[in-house]
Amino acid sequence: MDTVLEATKTFVEVAEIWVPEEGRLVLSGGVYGAHGTFAHASHDESFAKGEGLPGKAWAEARPVVLKQFDGSYFKRTEAAKEAGLTSAVAVPVFAGSKLKAVLVILCADDATRTGAIEVWAEADGILTLDDGYYGAASHFEWVSQHTQFPRGQGLPGGVWASNTPILMRDLGSGYRFVRSESAGRAGLTTGLGLPVPVPGGTTYVLTLLSAKGTPIARRFEIWDARAARTGPRETARLTDGICEREGPLWDPENAGKERVAHVWEGPVGRVLGTGLPVVETGAAAGGYAMMVGLPIHRGGELAHVVAWYC
Amino acid sequence: MERLVVIGAGMASGRLLEHLFEAAPGRFEVTLFNAEPRGNYNRIMLSPVLSGEKSYAEIVTHDDDWYAAHGVTCRFGERVQHIDRDRKVVTGATGDVPYDRLVIATGSDPFIIPCPGHDLDGVISYRDLDDTNRMIDQPPGTRAVVIGGGLLGLEAAAGLRLRGMEVTVLHLSGHLMDRQLDPAAGYLLRADLERRGISVMTQASTSRIRGEGRVEAVELEDGTILPADLVVMAVGIRPSVKLAQASGLTVGRAIEVDAQMRTSDPNVFAVGECVEFAGQLFGLVAPLYDQAKVLAATLLDEPAAFTPKQLSTKLKVTGCDLFSAGDFSDGQGREDIVFRDPARGIYKRLVVADDRLVGAVMYGDTADGNWFFGLIRDETDIAEMRETLIFGPAYQGGSVQDPLAAVAALPADAEICGCNGVCKGRIIEAIEGGATDLGAVRGATKASASCGTCTGLVEQVLAATLGDAFTITAAQPVCGCTDLSHEDVRRLIKSRELKSQPAVWQELGWRTPNGCHVCRPAVNFYLLADWPLEYHDDPQSRFVNERKHANIQKDGTFSVVPRMWGGITSASELRAIADAAEKYDVPTVKVTGGQRIDLLGVKGEDLPAIWADLNAAGLVSGHAYSKGLRTVKTCVGTDHCRFGTQDSTGLGIRLEKRLWGSWTPHKVKLAVSGCPRNCAEATCKDVGIVCVDSGYEIGVGGAAGMDVREVERLAKVATEDETVEWTVAFVQLYREHAKYLDRPYKWLAKVGLDWVIDTLSDPATRSALVERFDLSQTIYQTDPWAQHTARETARSFAPIADLTLEAAE
Repeated sequence: MDTVLEATKTFVEVAEIWVPEEGRLVLSGGVYGAHGTFAHASHDESFAKGEGLPGKAWAEARPVVLKQFDGSYFKRTEAAKEAGLTSAVAVPVFAGSKLKAVLVILCADDATRTGAIEVWAEADGILTLDDGYYGAASHFEWVSQHTQFPRGQGLPGGVWASNTPILMRDLGSGYRFVRSESAGRAGLTTGLGLPVPVPGGTTYVLTLLSAKGTPIARRFEIWDARAARTGPRETARLTDGICEREGPLWDPENAGKERVAHVWEGPVGRVLGTGLPVVETGAAAGGYAMMVGLPIHRGGELAHVVAWYC
Repeated sequence: MERLVVIGAGMASGRLLEHLFEAAPGRFEVTLFNAEPRGNYNRIMLSPVLSGEKSYAEIVTHDDDWYAAHGVTCRFGERVQHIDRDRKVVTGATGDVPYDRLVIATGSDPFIIPCPGHDLDGVISYRDLDDTNRMIDQPPGTRAVVIGGGLLGLEAAAGLRLRGMEVTVLHLSGHLMDRQLDPAAGYLLRADLERRGISVMTQASTSRIRGEGRVEAVELEDGTILPADLVVMAVGIRPSVKLAQASGLTVGRAIEVDAQMRTSDPNVFAVGECVEFAGQLFGLVAPLYDQAKVLAATLLDEPAAFTPKQLSTKLKVTGCDLFSAGDFSDGQGREDIVFRDPARGIYKRLVVADDRLVGAVMYGDTADGNWFFGLIRDETDIAEMRETLIFGPAYQGGSVQDPLAAVAALPADAEICGCNGVCKGRIIEAIEGGATDLGAVRGATKASASCGTCTGLVEQVLAATLGDAFTITAAQPVCGCTDLSHEDVRRLIKSRELKSQPAVWQELGWRTPNGCHVCRPAVNFYLLADWPLEYHDDPQSRFVNERKHANIQKDGTFSVVPRMWGGITSASELRAIADAAEKYDVPTVKVTGGQRIDLLGVKGEDLPAIWADLNAAGLVSGHAYSKGLRTVKTCVGTDHCRFGTQDSTGLGIRLEKRLWGSWTPHKVKLAVSGCPRNCAEATCKDVGIVCVDSGYEIGVGGAAGMDVREVERLAKVATEDETVEWTVAFVQLYREHAKYLDRPYKWLAKVGLDWVIDTLSDPATRSALVERFDLSQTIYQTDPWAQHTARETARSFAPIADLTLEAAE
């Protein structure tokens, strides 16, 4: 299958996975697109705990947003600048207290790319913005910085209260999102929110907000992996999803007839088998330029897999 | 082509058309009426549209292109006015349409509670896309009240909350989704919704909706007023049958159809929620699709018959994992299999009868729901897998429930030792710091170093932290439903703030759905003693005497003992007692050791009437049957006696008036003697006060039953006020700490009199205990006789069974 080359640019340029090995984080996979030099620089790299962006996410056990490479702890600044990459988000994947991997997403900045990757953190019973990368959606960034979410309200509050990933549609239409007016102005349409479990119990919620013009993803999927015990083989069920090409991906009859992913089959099956995130491209990514599959563990066990394709 | 007119473009008729067009394209010329200005959409997915988790475009089942491709004439937004069955014509607002065969699929209408204010602006139902959009259009911060805690109401509540509104759910019965869930699952669902910031009020009956033109508040029967900008009525649906009725079709609760979906007119059919088949109505989508399939076959002149099947229920609220199927009500010959995991909020209950699974309800882990549903539907013999059934199809030699689960689930800030305010986290710190046995933990933290009732819990924290490096001392569990001791349960009810029976069963990992005859009375007492305002006494968790408010005798009759404050009575009271004895043919009138008069041999059905008569004379229940204050026996004291040092009678009356009505772990008897000659026999009472020249000697822990014990001195005080304060504080301490059915002397033997004296010697502690006692009395100091003489209650005293067979305490 040929890789789909959509006319519009996506928000995310690079995704990579770093896994712990003998006390350091080493690269286990990445999709770099046209950024060969940056890929090369990454292959030669590894991070100790606390070192560089992945090492910081590991050491601090929280998602980390970095919007300025120059003068920061980012170790591949020169290669990133050469590739036009300006910002990055590192998401640690913990199963209980054990670090499984760190997913790093890198974005390129320009005046037209709109989207948002946000990290929300709970303090005193309220979720506030820890940090976020917004591209050109500067007004929306300002609104987010001045917004708080109680339990159960809005996408971040909903994810927090339900402790499950949530995929919201039409962020900018009506009041379908607490920050909807600004989201609408920014052209943000779809939002994926997911809990980022970390040792110590602090609540972090990661949201990916997508605009039509420069989508973070063209396809989103939420897989429930808690059904893994039911069948003779471990499985996950596609409980929600939407795709620019295929439309809705959920079971319209809500009758347990969702699509099923089997362990080790395809990238989602691999996440099921290993409990590690995957990044893929081309045929392995269903023909998309990039696919990211991110596991969410609960109580040390795999509970959900979220996947996005761009 | 055959002319087929369909009234209603809902999911059932939509599925019917799909079957028809697939099986016989071109055979029918279809005209489709719909009152809504749109075609068929997936109505059951409106909740995620409301919450923002789906878009309307995603839930459209048939769009304009689909109808055009199948040649359907759409009359959307046009309500059918009339059916002329003689002429076989349907009349809409824009004209007549003749039919060869007609399908009525008018669905259902939301039920609106006809309370005052139901027609105010801002009061809406939740049925279609327009309702949904009205809710969506409300700004964040809107105060929404959802009336109805069923599937639809809860989905609406969750959606509104996600949209940033302040949401309260009102539900008439005792637990949410009471038609689909048992109380245990209902408790977990409520906790789940409350974690989302949704307020839930059960047993909440709406009396009116207030507002000037627009809704402003909802008023409940108990007078509670809830400010509201939006009221969503989701209390149920009614089949929409007006059109069918007007056309003369046979209509019962809905349009009656046969197994081929044919109405009383052979050319008119009905499908969906507007249908009644064999006395049943249908609200879930699965049977509607079955009906659609059958009706398609009928219209295609093929044999088919509709048979209702078992249904299962899911709630479409992201993250709320519940499943319910079959019948899980209690019944003879039914067995429950229960699994609870308090740490993960999991509850599973299977109901088995005759080696068949007949019901399943689960919360938190519903992965095996469909498998259990299959076993119910197929009536599979489960005898072979009974022992492991609850663990699901993949179970291979799994483990039994961990008795440490409840303690392991406690958060670090849960208080284990109430006396010294020591939390679980502090104990774990001490263990990790090297305190690996009970003595070392006591030394490092003071946990369990005072009254010692939390010793079991401290040991469990040691075991949970150290694993097999620590051997736990076996404690006597409350009963077979749990491995926890009474003391553990009491402590956990406090530290985890468990305020209902379902909360106790779930969070402490009970092995039965609702406890048993042993643990329920104890847990009922612990809850009402610790949470007098929040918890409501459950009469069904009481022994028969307490339920009947009278002591049942061996012949099935009852004894009635009016209260005589301090053993003092009067001529008019005695006359009233004598009159009652004669009127109700009381065979025995006996003076008791506690200075009361006992009317023995009263028939159960006479109880409300004799109580009413005695009430009328100013007499109230003497609680001679209760685990509570029984009597305060006095001598005549300084009023009449040459030796009396204080007003013992007055003090006795004062104490009795303060303490009566309170529930205690076991019965409590008091006495006040006016001098050390002790004519009131105060030194063998639970609390005995002996007056002396210099004040009052308060003794506690006496007994004169199976065990005979003399009281030990609790305190000597100078004034009557101090005596009352110490006595009330002692009774409250006993209420808060003792094991159910331990008399004070037994409790004192466990915690030590020294600890009690130390505790009560602190004026602030004493005062706080008195305050808590008085708070409890605001609820419980009521005369049960007066409450039970109401006509409704009186009925429950009429004999429906041979009460002699019921176990007395």
